[in-house]
Amino acid sequence: MKMMGLTVLAIAEAVALRGGTIESPIQHVLVQMPLLALAGMVGVHELRIRQYWAIPFLLLALTTFLFWMLPRNVDWALTPAGELAKYISLPLLLGLPLRLCWPRLGPILRGFLKANALSMLGVLGFLYTHAPIRICNSYLVSAQQDLGFAFLYLAAALACLWALPVLFGYPRWLPDAAAGCIKCGA
Amino acid sequence: MSIAIEPGAGAPAATAPQAGAIKVTMILSGAVFTLMMVFGLIMRAAQGQWIELDPALFYQILTAHGAGMVGTAALSGAAILWYFSGRHVVLTAGIFWAFLCLFLLGVVLILGAIFIGGFGGAWTFLFPLPALSGGAWEAGAAAAFMLGYVAIGVGFLLYYLELGRQIHARYGSLVRALGWNLILGREDDNPPPPTIVAAAAVTIFNSIGIILGAAVLIASLVHLLVPGFEVNALLAKNLIYFFGHVFINASIYMAVTAVYEILPEYTGRPWKSNRVFALAWNAVLIFVMAVYWHHLLQDVVMPPWMLVVGQLVSYFSGIPLIAVTAFSTFLYVRGSKMTWDLTSSLLVLSVAGWSVGSIPASIDGMISVNKVMHNTMWVPGHFHTYLLLGEVAMAFGFMAWLVRGKTISEMGTLDRAAFGTYLAGAAGFVTVFLFSGAASIPRRWAVHYEEWLTHDRIGTVFSVLVVLATLVFVVRFVTRLGRNED
Ligand code: HEM
Ligand SMILES: [Cu+2]
Repeated sequence: MKMMGLTVLAIAEAVALRGGTIESPIQHVLVQMPLLALAGMVGVHELRIRQYWAIPFLLLALTTFLFWMLPRNVDWALTPAGELAKYISLPLLLGLPLRLCWPRLGPILRGFLKANALSMLGVLGFLYTHAPIRICNSYLVSAQQDLGFAFLYLAAALACLWALPVLFGYPRWLPDAAAGCIKCGA
Repeated sequence: MSIAIEPGAGAPAATAPQAGAIKVTMILSGAVFTLMMVFGLIMRAAQGQWIELDPALFYQILTAHGAGMVGTAALSGAAILWYFSGRHVVLTAGIFWAFLCLFLLGVVLILGAIFIGGFGGAWTFLFPLPALSGGAWEAGAAAAFMLGYVAIGVGFLLYYLELGRQIHARYGSLVRALGWNLILGREDDNPPPPTIVAAAAVTIFNSIGIILGAAVLIASLVHLLVPGFEVNALLAKNLIYFFGHVFINASIYMAVTAVYEILPEYTGRPWKSNRVFALAWNAVLIFVMAVYWHHLLQDVVMPPWMLVVGQLVSYFSGIPLIAVTAFSTFLYVRGSKMTWDLTSSLLVLSVAGWSVGSIPASIDGMISVNKVMHNTMWVPGHFHTYLLLGEVAMAFGFMAWLVRGKTISEMGTLDRAAFGTYLAGAAGFVTVFLFSGAASIPRRWAVHYEEWLTHDRIGTVFSVLVVLATLVFVVRFVTRLGRNED
């Protein structure tokens, strides 16, 4: 029940951000879209799936992710049809399958995905901070550069979040964290 | 195989190290080392104008030699570290095989890019050179080269994830495996042995290097295939040299575990972690990442403080660890009745070569010297010292140990001749490079002036010696493997 409440809350916030997404790509790509995916994740937080579903779910989540990573699709998400697709696909085709498959993936695969996420954020930062062209037609070049730096900050934050428990051990006040989301993105 | 030393305090949780996979890897490493040395010999002979070599081909061979040697140094170092870490933690064999397959896939892509696609942009793939071939190669060749690096990087990432995971599982945290309890003077009922300290440090800094390296590789690939995307050239250079510096250094830091684990069989005294040892490794962990700025001393647009840090850290980077390792080696060897067989000779030589090589390296890390020496033969001079006489000697020493059998006996005539030839050849070869550097002969030139030919020719003669000795080491290893197997 609590989880359902959180789901609704996340979606509500995402909808409330509609105005912001038009002005700033950061609010769009780094706030609204993750909120939508998060809604899908918390919605199925308690559910468990069978092992053989893990890889199909992972592939589904990655495909959705890749789709929304492309700048032209971010542009499209500002049109009515694209917006609808975004509201449906991010929770249902990204957050939900990712959350369901995650505990079933091996620790090496999870570590690999995390490391890859860091590298890719770095690549995006690389490209967005320096591209001489507008990558998204809907946003200003200056906003695009801000987004690039935001990617880099996010990469740094995630790197710390994932590396600290490996370096220093799990904080004792987080007893069940270790079981659910073993960190190994050293 | 009799192992005289006890692997770490506490009950060894480890199984038998994965000898089969490691032996296969060492055969491959030995073969590629030999082949790449022949490439080096060809380049040297061509510079000395003893043979005729099309400059385009020279740069392809230079690229293959650089990438191939760095890759093989890393491969052999990784095999050594995996083998000895297996004495202290349980490692999944499948991950090592996956690592090896990805590595070989990378090799195929790289060789194809160079010798089919004509890529000759050097192992450093410095932006934007891969995209500016002037017609010498197509974008596809450069892309294949970088994809080869990506494959190798993914392989290494899996390797370190598994290593880090198992160390974490056994020691609870990586800082404990880095010996922080020893440093802070806390109780530790199961202190990490030297190999684990090394493994933890390398896992951390090389993972960071690989993640950043992957970022710059993919960004360069995007630029190559979609030229509209520009990349900040200075940032790219920083990341490339961070990655390159960390990666090649890691190969030595992995291979040195052979010294920690094997020499005690000869000296009869176990090599234990202590506070100074742990401090040295923790210093390395920071310094190896902070020192890469010494590659950018010529980039006037860099913030000056970074270059100053690069210079200062260059003095300190190698010193703590080399000092601790070399000093301990010296003490162990002096106080015991060593039997000098091929293994122990090569391993002790490797520590000496590594230490000696760090001296010209630190000299080049001085901004005032670097202004003059930066692109001269001084640079290949110093890194061939600690690679040829350091890392490669460690790898050959490890190979000799793998096929040594239980009894340790003095070297036979052939071993003695091969060892002496290797030592003389390598020492002479690197000395010529250093002399050439002092004479301001530039590096990476396919065609040399008349006045430089004497240097090149003496260097060529010495490299023949190295190749001959290497052939003996590798053939000896392979034939004895066959004998030991049954
Ligand atoms: C018989 C042994 C060897 C010979 C004859 C040899 C020869 C050479 C020559 C002639 C060059 C080019 C120098 C120039 O810039 O003009 C070179 C570069 C290089 N060598 Fe070697 N080498 C040998 C062993 C090794 C080993 C064992 C390693 C590493 C493990 C190594 C790593 C490199 C690297 C990284 C470069 C730089 C490539 C570049 O500038 O892009 N070499 N070597
Ligand atoms: Cu360096």
